Amino acid sequence: MTVNCRCSNPLIPLLFSVILTVVPLQARSQRTVWSLPDYNETVRTWSVAFGNAFARDTYLSASSYDGWALGFENDSWTGYRPYRLFKYGRFHSNLLFSPMKNRLGGGSTMELAGSEHAAFLWPAVKSSMCDLLIGPAILMDLGVLYNQQNSNNPVTLEGYLGTGFCVDNTFRFSLFRYDMALQATLYLPLAGIGFAPDYDQPYWYMYKYSEYGKAIHLIWPFNNIALTHQIALVLPIRGDRLRIGYTFDYTNNSLGGHKRSVGNNMFTLGYTIIFQTKEWGR
Amino acid sequence: MNRSFLHTVSFVGALLLMMIPVSCAWDQEKKDQEYANTPQGNFMALWTIMDERYCFFDLKKERLGVDWDEVKHRYSASISDNISDKALFEVFCKMIGELRDGHVNLTSVYDYGRNWSWKTDYPANFSKDLQDRYLGNDYVIGGNGYYYRVLDDNIGYLVVGSFESGTSSGRMNVMFNNMALCNGLIIDIRDNGGGDLTAAEFLASHFTEKKVTVGYYCYKTGPGHNDFSRLYKNELSPAKEDLRWIKPVVVLTNRGCFSSANDFAYTMKALDNVTLLGDTTGGGGGLPMSSELPNGWVVRFSSAPTFDADTNHVEFGIAPDIRVDMLEEDIQVGVDTYIERARKYINDKIVNP
Repeated sequence: MTVNCRCSNPLIPLLFSVILTVVPLQARSQRTVWSLPDYNETVRTWSVAFGNAFARDTYLSASSYDGWALGFENDSWTGYRPYRLFKYGRFHSNLLFSPMKNRLGGGSTMELAGSEHAAFLWPAVKSSMCDLLIGPAILMDLGVLYNQQNSNNPVTLEGYLGTGFCVDNTFRFSLFRYDMALQATLYLPLAGIGFAPDYDQPYWYMYKYSEYGKAIHLIWPFNNIALTHQIALVLPIRGDRLRIGYTFDYTNNSLGGHKRSVGNNMFTLGYTIIFQTKEWGR
Repeated sequence: MNRSFLHTVSFVGALLLMMIPVSCAWDQEKKDQEYANTPQGNFMALWTIMDERYCFFDLKKERLGVDWDEVKHRYSASISDNISDKALFEVFCKMIGELRDGHVNLTSVYDYGRNWSWKTDYPANFSKDLQDRYLGNDYVIGGNGYYYRVLDDNIGYLVVGSFESGTSSGRMNVMFNNMALCNGLIIDIRDNGGGDLTAAEFLASHFTEKKVTVGYYCYKTGPGHNDFSRLYKNELSPAKEDLRWIKPVVVLTNRGCFSSANDFAYTMKALDNVTLLGDTTGGGGGLPMSSELPNGWVVRFSSAPTFDADTNHVEFGIAPDIRVDMLEEDIQVGVDTYIERARKYINDKIVNP
């Protein structure tokens, strides 16, 4: 037996934190670097993402797989009416593809995954230098794992729809007179429904006889640990904003009796645009 | 303490709090244990995959005396750290071969590990040369592996050599039109090793006028040998908008009928105007699934058992309605005992319906 760790190293954000406390930073209130959107305004970042993905699903195989991954991320903040409790909407969606290999030997599998997160946030701390937003979130994750070597169970579907919360933390500062912003976001599902075959329930039978009942499971953190964590640095360059980030997406569950552990570590490079949206109606 | 330092501290504090779930996830990931890519690790992976997911342990214990724990004890003694890959593969094949299940296989570069005793331990009851002689040269190809013609006594003869690929509605309609005046139909599925379940069901759906419960299925709901779901009905519906055959049908079977062909046999047996003639089929009543060992070898195993209309296991084959053996004296003179008995059966049925 052996123990394997494929997860992202949580020391990376810690390193960011240490740099922030050690390096002589000066907090700035530069709206040109980054600011929360006003009402009817959306700050949107489109990013390409590259990194690695890993998966283990004992419905398909006893082994673990990993490989490079390529993806796309859409990240946005929207301002709501000022009198509302939740003054900001935070939306994150991504799509990734990863061809993976058995980590120990032959065999290969492929993953196509996507997620959509929508959070409604209340400003717990809001100042010229630091914005801390928290609020409820709706989270949807969907992925398809394909094992090329299997016969009647080549594909499995991973997915959940849940509610949870989101924490969004932005810090504006300058380093060597260069203004920038560091952002961290965490999405954490707490309860919802997840899809997984009832142990060895064949997809063929689900399709042919429309027997899905036991494939839908209630999820909570004790049977479905999932999270999406983002850290990003916003760099203003001649009036434009580049956003360089790292996203860790992870789901670990044992729904239906099989063990599933899928995730990815992605580095993102994105371009940020502020949109003014027209008000509908009168 | 200045204001910016306070904000830095508050940001770092919030960031560290956000890292707690990430650390928990990391810990969780570390707890996941996997088998090592060593002879012993691969052995344990194979044995455990089968132990938790193979669906016929109780049946095999009852009928063949296979005790999976005893099998582990016996074969683990052959595994050492310096065993060669090829030797390891041979040990694994022997171990899973104890189950005598055609759906249990191990695939590697060395071979396709199998135990085909369900077929090889029995009389063949089939001659390809004789089958070709009955088909003649002017037979019609009605799909990949589907050949037919009308025999001299006005009986249709359809050979379905495989269910790897099916036929189409159009081809079925043409075939039934060609045989519209026939008194009956012989479907020869001898040595059909199976293939696509849909193809078998599609063909069977042309021989019923009403929805029929032809069998049942269940699947494993947990790692225990007896963790199964309830039985679900397997119903056969008539082929929509296609011609359907309502005259007598005789299906010829032998031990070479396996998997989808076995399913076809029990499905047809549940229909009113169908008679099975020949030898018991080879079985293969478990829907197979696959998994992978740490070294990349792929193991296939029966995962979801199927049952006939009387809820009997079909893993060991379907008994025919009329038991027939090929006679050596018939073969010597170029006569297929099965086909001749089927023709006689249909002709007798016309006289005495």
